[in-house]
Amino acid sequence: MIDVSNLTKTYPGVVAVDDLSFQVGKGEIVGFLGPNGAGKSTTMRILTCFIAPTSGSAKLAGFDVVEQSMEVRRRVGYLPESNALYTEMRVEEYLLFRARLRNLSGAERASRVGEALEKVRLTERRRSIIAHLSKGLRQRVGIADAILHRPEIVILDEPTIGLDPTQVREVRELIRGLGEAHTVLFSSHILSEVEKICGRVLILSKGKVAAFGTPEEIANQLMKTGNVRLEVRGEGRKIKETLEAVAGVARILWSSKGEMHTYVVEPKDGQDLRPALLRACMSGGYEVYELGYERRTLEEAFTMLTEAPGKGGGA
Amino acid sequence: MRNFIALTRRELGVYFVSPMAYIILTAMLVLSGQMFVQYMTNYAANQLPVDYRETLQWLIMVIVLTCPLVTMRLIAEERSKGTLEIILTAPISDAAFVLAKFAASIVLLLSLLVLTVGYLIIISHYGPVDVGAAACGYLGLLLVGGVLYSAGLFISSLCSSQITAGVLTFALATLLIMANILSSRAEGSFWAPILAFVDLSLNFNDFLKGVVDRTRLVYLLSVIAFFLFLTTRVVESRRWR
Repeated sequence: MIDVSNLTKTYPGVVAVDDLSFQVGKGEIVGFLGPNGAGKSTTMRILTCFIAPTSGSAKLAGFDVVEQSMEVRRRVGYLPESNALYTEMRVEEYLLFRARLRNLSGAERASRVGEALEKVRLTERRRSIIAHLSKGLRQRVGIADAILHRPEIVILDEPTIGLDPTQVREVRELIRGLGEAHTVLFSSHILSEVEKICGRVLILSKGKVAAFGTPEEIANQLMKTGNVRLEVRGEGRKIKETLEAVAGVARILWSSKGEMHTYVVEPKDGQDLRPALLRACMSGGYEVYELGYERRTLEEAFTMLTEAPGKGGGA
Repeated sequence: MRNFIALTRRELGVYFVSPMAYIILTAMLVLSGQMFVQYMTNYAANQLPVDYRETLQWLIMVIVLTCPLVTMRLIAEERSKGTLEIILTAPISDAAFVLAKFAASIVLLLSLLVLTVGYLIIISHYGPVDVGAAACGYLGLLLVGGVLYSAGLFISSLCSSQITAGVLTFALATLLIMANILSSRAEGSFWAPILAFVDLSLNFNDFLKGVVDRTRLVYLLSVIAFFLFLTTRVVESRRWR
């Protein structure tokens, strides 16, 4: 549905998007993740035909964003990051105007606007002037506009930015619902958000793909540290000595809470120390409550990826 | 076509739903009405026959004043608010977008001109009004206004601040109206004939006499087309800059 190949956008002195290639299939929800300035908005602006790429190409629903821009625009719904609306208009009036801009006929307009209002649960506020709405409600107006013409592809740039947790949850649910009928590409710099609703996540860093895959794939690749985490009950110092005696242990970090001790064991040259560590604890007569690989949170993996591009490897 | 009408209607909505259009129109009517009264008292005091031409000539100055007020926000506002992005990612061509803006501003100009027809009606009570010549004068006003408004639209497309756009537009409009004064100062130089040619009040004088000179007509229309073309190119430039 979305086919981006070797997309590059440069501004004087800045490479905003650097040789970006990726594909998104029909009905997928893909999250665009990256720190500010990673090129998310620029990529989205190219995909929605607002700006043109310096080189490379992008096809949406089979149409080229430069050559067949009108065809692309008809098939794409877009919520820009700024979510700029004509705030002097009323919600329904604004959506009807947008429907007219999209050349929908009179009967279609009324039904589509009703439908979109229903979807974003704004039907009761349809007579409100947009300027009087809260940020969360305005965001919903923007989303209603993006889905008004039942586009094949919906592109949402930071749809949850500046919303309170409840509103974030609502918007998230809304996006999840969109996935049933549309291909959705949305961006965020909050990882947990993307993780919860996306089929696949694309992590952008400095205009390049740092990782692309399902959250699990990325997690498996990036979150394993090779360190083993143990929770053992007993006498802390003795346990530590026992563990240190295990062959292949490079370093141990120890923290404790009363009788419970947590150790993070770093192995030499990446070997799996789990069985050896367990055996050592059992023979020492210590009660093991937990044993497993220490996992990086996706958050840490993300930070690692975006701060040191290339190190994490692509998925 | 439907989207062009939708855009024009929204633009008009901005003018006429908000107090903006009414404030501009009222201010301009006060200004032109004041001068009209002045002229009329002058005719009466000096026992001169009433003449509508001076009033129409004064209206050019009024149009110069309205020009920045009407045009400065047209594109600059969309740029600064970010709404340009939602309009230009909708299936509407850049040219249609620019034309819709221009059309809306011209409707506002027309409503101002229509209101001033009242002066002619008053004049017709005191002496004969050559309807043909007056209509010709109004055509001239419309064309001169069209040139000024299209220039204002162009400047608005270059700026992201409305104030900057307004000031620049006012400067350019004033220059275009007073070019003949500069021309007579620069008598004999290379610039003199050029300044005299572009001067809008000189271009307007023929219309005021009831003469539609084809050269003037083509000149004014092509200047409008030229500014609209430039504006479209500026709007498009986001795609290749």
